[in-house]
Amino acid sequence: MAVAVVLLSGAPFHGGCCRHKVFLSLLGPLLSNSKLYSSYRRPGAEPKKKLSWQNADFSFKKSIDHLKTQLSLLTKETQDYLQGPGGHPLSQHVLEQTRVLWQFRSQEDLNKWVISSDVEIGGKSKVYIKLGRNNQAALLYGTLNTEVPRDGETKYSGYCSMRSRPAVGSFNRKKYYDWSNFNSLYLRVRGDGRPWMVNIYTDPYFSHQKDDLYSYFMFTRGGPYWEEIKIPFSKFFFSSRGRVQDNQHPVWLDKASFLTLGLTIGDKVDGPFQLEIDFIGLLNDRAHREEFAYETYDKN
Amino acid sequence: FTASLLLGTTLTISSNHWIMAWAGLEINTLAILPMISKSHHPRAIEAATKYFLTQATASALLLFSSMINAWQTGQWDITQLTNPTSCLILTSAIAMKLGLVPFHFWFPEVLQGTPLTTGLLLSTLMKFPPITLLYMTSPSLNPTVLTSMAILSTALGGWMGLNQTQIRKILAFSSISHLGWMTIIISYNPKLTLLNFYLYALMTTATFLTLHSTKASKLSTLMTTWTKAPTLNAALLLTLLSLAGLPPLTGFLPKWLIIQELTKQDMA
Repeated sequence: MAVAVVLLSGAPFHGGCCRHKVFLSLLGPLLSNSKLYSSYRRPGAEPKKKLSWQNADFSFKKSIDHLKTQLSLLTKETQDYLQGPGGHPLSQHVLEQTRVLWQFRSQEDLNKWVISSDVEIGGKSKVYIKLGRNNQAALLYGTLNTEVPRDGETKYSGYCSMRSRPAVGSFNRKKYYDWSNFNSLYLRVRGDGRPWMVNIYTDPYFSHQKDDLYSYFMFTRGGPYWEEIKIPFSKFFFSSRGRVQDNQHPVWLDKASFLTLGLTIGDKVDGPFQLEIDFIGLLNDRAHREEFAYETYDKN
Repeated sequence: FTASLLLGTTLTISSNHWIMAWAGLEINTLAILPMISKSHHPRAIEAATKYFLTQATASALLLFSSMINAWQTGQWDITQLTNPTSCLILTSAIAMKLGLVPFHFWFPEVLQGTPLTTGLLLSTLMKFPPITLLYMTSPSLNPTVLTSMAILSTALGGWMGLNQTQIRKILAFSSISHLGWMTIIISYNPKLTLLNFYLYALMTTATFLTLHSTKASKLSTLMTTWTKAPTLNAALLLTLLSLAGLPPLTGFLPKWLIIQELTKQDMA
């Protein structure tokens, strides 16, 4: 703004029309609706037509209904708080050795998960999720395609994933769970022999750690029989931005806030894949005594 | 780092100039940060970051309050804090340092991210300099603000500790509650604050060291310690009851004296 004033004051010899043109050319980028950053859009990303604040719905009736829903959630949370940790009595918290986190029996259970694939970076893999036969399991299926998108910067492609939505309480607050009583993840699945990667994202407080992920592998057998896979939390290794870190540490489960679990397939093999999941839960395996499978980076 | 902590604490409690007190508090903050983040776990780093941000803000507010007082009165003596604005800012700074409601949100998270021995230092040694500053400035502090913060701390410290399953968080809320008791009496009888603090430090040290030796950090682990160390478990039971303030045990003494003093002041 100051620059415009200086330039305009420094150009008294020009005619009024020229000053008007200079003024407009200086303020052109500000007057037009273009973004100040690059307008490059990745091939798989949807074009942004509306700004985020334009999506806000100012309907009064909907806001009243929303408020009623949130207040009822808050009431339920208060009642759960009076009962004990996590809404259950303390004796249950201390004595429980298994807990089912997600089971797939209805569309509502499916809505707690989000599927994604490399389409978001311009790839050609396809992924779908639906309820299996008799509504007894979730069927995650699709086709993996490792063809690299031609945008000059992507080197690898070919992944599909299914991630759980983080749990929110009343008024969209984060829900905190305590999984410290358990030491293994328990999945009842029926795969097609392809290896999957199980990822745990513990939503950190500060954004510096937002790329941190704890991962381990799940090898499925294929075949007509269901298999129960136990993955101890001590086996999960720590990676950041996709790179396995030297400084390894076990995943802390005491404050499982906004914790999302993800199942990813990215085994670099083109072709169809299929995974049926009955339920995902937690287990306190007393026979598993290992604290951490990898060497920690203790100096001295 | 322990030597730096002792240096910082000694500097603050023995100073009568605000700058020396502030320097001691800063030394304490900086010395405990590597102890909190020793394990380099993301949660420990998060705890250290949260601790640093709150304590740095509180130190800045403290310095600001002393500067306002120095500007208005021309002197930096800790016991001569007379400007009402600087008293108010100091109260909020000390509340932030200690973890009084409504500045308590950092405390459970920080204590949860630290090892038990560092948590012990955070609960006892790091509370000593701010309590000393409160003691030295107690005649000039606003009783209404202190009383309201103290009542909220006592209430919230108790209620929010109810459904916790992690022991360090329970001890953090217990600390907040005890700080409420210490703060409520500071305007009327500061010596009771110190008595409460010393007894609280003793009981908390016993609790933390017991938990450290049994490696219990959550309730379900604590439930099975009686098989490993039955005598220690019984001693822990008595210490926890004392922390709660049950009558025949030592922890009841400060509460009784505080209530007696408050009754004399027509408050209870």
